[in-house]
Amino acid sequence: MIRSIIPIIRQPQQLQFGLRALATAAAQQSPRLKKFQIYRWNPDTPEVQPKLQTYEVDLNNCGPMVLDALLKIKNEQDPTLTLRRSCREGICGSCAMNIGGRNTLACLCRIEPDTSKDLKVYPLPHMFVVKDLVPDLTHFYKQYKSIQPYLQRDTNPADGRENLQSIEDRAKLDGLYECILCACCSTSCASYWWNQQQYLGPAVLMQAYRWLIDSRDEYTSNRKVMLQNSMSLYRCHTIMNCTRTCPKGLNPGKAIAEIKRLLAFD
Amino acid sequence: MLSVYSRIGLNQSARLLIKPALIRGIKTIPQPPGYIVGTVNDAYVPPPPSKSEGSLHWTAERIVAVGMVPLVLAPLTTGTTTLLDSAMSSLLLFHCFAGFQSCIIDYIPKRVYGAYHTYCMWLLMGGTAFAGYGIYEIEKKEGGISNVVSKLWKA
Repeated sequence: MIRSIIPIIRQPQQLQFGLRALATAAAQQSPRLKKFQIYRWNPDTPEVQPKLQTYEVDLNNCGPMVLDALLKIKNEQDPTLTLRRSCREGICGSCAMNIGGRNTLACLCRIEPDTSKDLKVYPLPHMFVVKDLVPDLTHFYKQYKSIQPYLQRDTNPADGRENLQSIEDRAKLDGLYECILCACCSTSCASYWWNQQQYLGPAVLMQAYRWLIDSRDEYTSNRKVMLQNSMSLYRCHTIMNCTRTCPKGLNPGKAIAEIKRLLAFD
Repeated sequence: MLSVYSRIGLNQSARLLIKPALIRGIKTIPQPPGYIVGTVNDAYVPPPPSKSEGSLHWTAERIVAVGMVPLVLAPLTTGTTTLLDSAMSSLLLFHCFAGFQSCIIDYIPKRVYGAYHTYCMWLLMGGTAFAGYGIYEIEKKEGGISNVVSKLWKA
């Protein structure tokens, strides 16, 4: 026991240089260069076709997530690379993109350590592209506005102050209110690709369901009527890409099925 | 051509130089830029409500699909009658009609193809009526669909 301590005492020189006494010098790591193929398109030069541009990033000097790599590329290699990002922790939904063939948030998607495989990064599929990885979500937000995502009541609260809700009724909203509207699910839905002008898509329909079942809302029948046509809701063919891709682990497919059940004998 | 990435333009170089005559002849309705109707701040306006196209249609589809299960299994277990067989055939006909109708709404939407959507719907109606008459003939002369299937099975 004592012998094992002795070497520590005999290493004053290392302590002078600010090294931990028992630390072994880290071996110089060989660079782990991974190629990122990133979709590029510039609206200023519309005659130039979109292309995949390849960047190399050393994973030893990069954070673990795809967003870290993208920002590293933007900071150090190519400042013209354009993408949306804000919170870098999966709560704002800005950095939704198609990474390795799957719609997800760049900030929640780990870089696969296998450097022999390139990672392809595209904007969200089947959306109009503003620039590089930035899709145009205007129509998506217009659709969200159309379901009136706010509490609607004709009567005042019973106690004159706030609209109370039982714990059970509040629990019904779990798994629905967490949606951050990143549009990963809607843009993964084949039905939304073909008919996004009229079909509301999983993200918006899940919010429609969230307001349909809110015990405090008194406009449920109006909300149901808005979905009573062949396009808004019933273009869902239970493909379930939405649930598969949701970066927050929510289940929009189930929410849509519940709306269909609510409306079935309406 | 219709791939995930067709919207973002990576397939542009692979565009067909000579389109088939049928596609060239079809005039589609141009869509507004970015699919935005009105200003960017207006909410999207859904089509007018119609329960027969909405919930009632969906419910009918489900009831027919579920109802077909015992009718299809009946001839295998207990034997069948003309009544059961005609019920099964007409439900199957509606099931096929609803499926094709869904395909037309998905892939030949009125918003893009205008009158062609209506032509396709009439074509489907005509086809369904023709098939309905065919079912009537089979019930009358051949003794029902299940009879025809069992004959084919043994042949």
